[in-house]
Amino acid sequence: MKLLTKTNRVYLSFSVGIYLLTALAFYGIIKYVIYDEVESRLLVEKRDFETYIRVHNAWSGSCYFVENKIGVVPVRQRTPIEDFKDTLILNRYDHELVPFRQLTFYAPIQGTDYRVSIRKSLIQSYRLIEVITLSMVAFLGLLLLCSFWFQNRLSGQLWQPFYSTLSQVRGFDLSSGATLQLEKQDITEFDELNDVLRKMSHQIHQDYQSLKEFTENASHEIQTPLALINARVEQLIQSENLTEAQSYWIDEIYRASRRMSKVNQGLLLLAKIENRQFSDLERVDLYALLQEKLTSMDELLQYKQIQVVTKGEAPFQKSLPPLLADLLMTNVVSNAVRHNQPGGYIRIDSQPDQLRISNPGPDLHTLPERLFERFKKETNQSESVGLGLAIVRQIGESYGIDITYAFSGGTHTICLR
Amino acid sequence: MKMLVIEDEKGLAESVAAYLTREGFVCEIAMTYAEADEKIFLYSYDCIIVDLTLPGGDGFSLIRSLKKMAATTGIIIISARDSLEDKIKGLEIGSDDYLIKPFHLSELNARVKSLIRRRNFGGQNEIWFREIQVLPNARKVFINSQETALSRKEYDLLLYFLSNIDVALTKTSIAEHLWGDHIDSADSLDIVYSHIKNLRRKLVEKGASDYVRSIYGIGYKFGYN
Repeated sequence: MKLLTKTNRVYLSFSVGIYLLTALAFYGIIKYVIYDEVESRLLVEKRDFETYIRVHNAWSGSCYFVENKIGVVPVRQRTPIEDFKDTLILNRYDHELVPFRQLTFYAPIQGTDYRVSIRKSLIQSYRLIEVITLSMVAFLGLLLLCSFWFQNRLSGQLWQPFYSTLSQVRGFDLSSGATLQLEKQDITEFDELNDVLRKMSHQIHQDYQSLKEFTENASHEIQTPLALINARVEQLIQSENLTEAQSYWIDEIYRASRRMSKVNQGLLLLAKIENRQFSDLERVDLYALLQEKLTSMDELLQYKQIQVVTKGEAPFQKSLPPLLADLLMTNVVSNAVRHNQPGGYIRIDSQPDQLRISNPGPDLHTLPERLFERFKKETNQSESVGLGLAIVRQIGESYGIDITYAFSGGTHTICLR
Repeated sequence: MKMLVIEDEKGLAESVAAYLTREGFVCEIAMTYAEADEKIFLYSYDCIIVDLTLPGGDGFSLIRSLKKMAATTGIIIISARDSLEDKIKGLEIGSDDYLIKPFHLSELNARVKSLIRRRNFGGQNEIWFREIQVLPNARKVFINSQETALSRKEYDLLLYFLSNIDVALTKTSIAEHLWGDHIDSADSLDIVYSHIKNLRRKLVEKGASDYVRSIYGIGYKFGYN
């Protein structure tokens, strides 16, 4: 949820709550005040009535109280309570029910007990309550809307620097070489945030740079002596009078130095993929690339009598640097070829959401997922360096391709998702 | 043909120079940036082989200044830096080839020769070895003036042999020349064998002598003996 949405939501629900409470309280207070007023007047009239009875010792309905405003009824037994209550009485003229407040009490007139009810019309008061409440509701609502709108605008503006920083940080690409350019802000907290981010990006950049330089230097420092060994061996084998044993040793040295250079190149490559030093992302159809690789290995496949069987031919697209896509498919294919058996097959099943490459081969002795570890070799073939699948997994991890290895019933399957 | 090898690792520079001298080139060595800069300024070369990381400077700036003075000189970069950016940059500023260390001397030799062939476009652009004639532009092979059909790999193999006459070539260098770096060596060595067998058969069928000799434990040699 966005920050502004969140604050707006909290603010809105809180103010609506307050608004409802205020409106209720307001209604209650007004009602209370009006009732209080009406009741105190009723009490005054009760006193008037009692005074009248005391003076005249009789009651004539004609005077003083208008019709409906008083009811005097003789009773046998009095319930000794005085009580205010709301009541509706039919208007004589327009036959409408009109609300009244009524005070009931008992009074003895000439020795007989009477129940006396004095009433006051509430119709005016009700109208008053209505008008006041409605206008209050309208004004409060308007206030609520205005402050909500204002708050929305204000926080939108206040958080603007934060969002611009955020979008810049999101667009920050370490391998592009550009540092984070953040503007100076008026608000202290945002300015501090930008400052911290700027320093951090600078630091990260420096670390990245020195790491990159280190890998390059390490590569250079190791590859150069290896190049020298290679060159010297090549010169050595030109001499005519080598014994068989000597040729054998020289060949061993030569192969060992080639392997060492392969290991070195492989490790450097892994480091480079981890550091995301390949930056030019492109949509690549890995299925097409796979076919291309298989075609280029045609001779090898023929030689090993391996058949290629294609099931699904849907393009399987991923975005990654073309160089790594190439490497990924080369490694996958050469893995399928190397661990195949004579007269075997490579089965490809390409769907838009997954690409499966299977081949028959000898049983696995290790767990399938352990094959992705560096220098993990299933067989002790000295020619294989043991980095191929590690590179495959690293490329997958760095560019969001889920790669799994499964073995069942004599079939090895690599699945890319 | 005059060549300059610019490389700070003494042994490697010597090896390259010795190998190329055997091939009939006149080779000089420069081991620092300053030395190379001076030599380029004073003399003219047909081809220079330059390392990118040099004491006292960067190989790229050397190439730039060379391009200003002698635009026709062929340039081959040899470097341990294998990033794509370096390769692209090298080719952009005018070098002709890029070889990553460690490389095979025979591969470097083949590249030098191919470069020189491309440079001498006006002159005779064909390779003769006794009765074998190769037209690299058309990718055609003639034996005793009779055209011989070779597969792509067999043609590449023949050209590699012709670039390295009387030189012991390792199986690995042949495999890497034909398939690049990524192919798994254990299998490719067997295919090298079958390709060489086919090539020999095709050449002999058309009346050429069998010039390929295998060297125990190491590889093959193509030559006069």
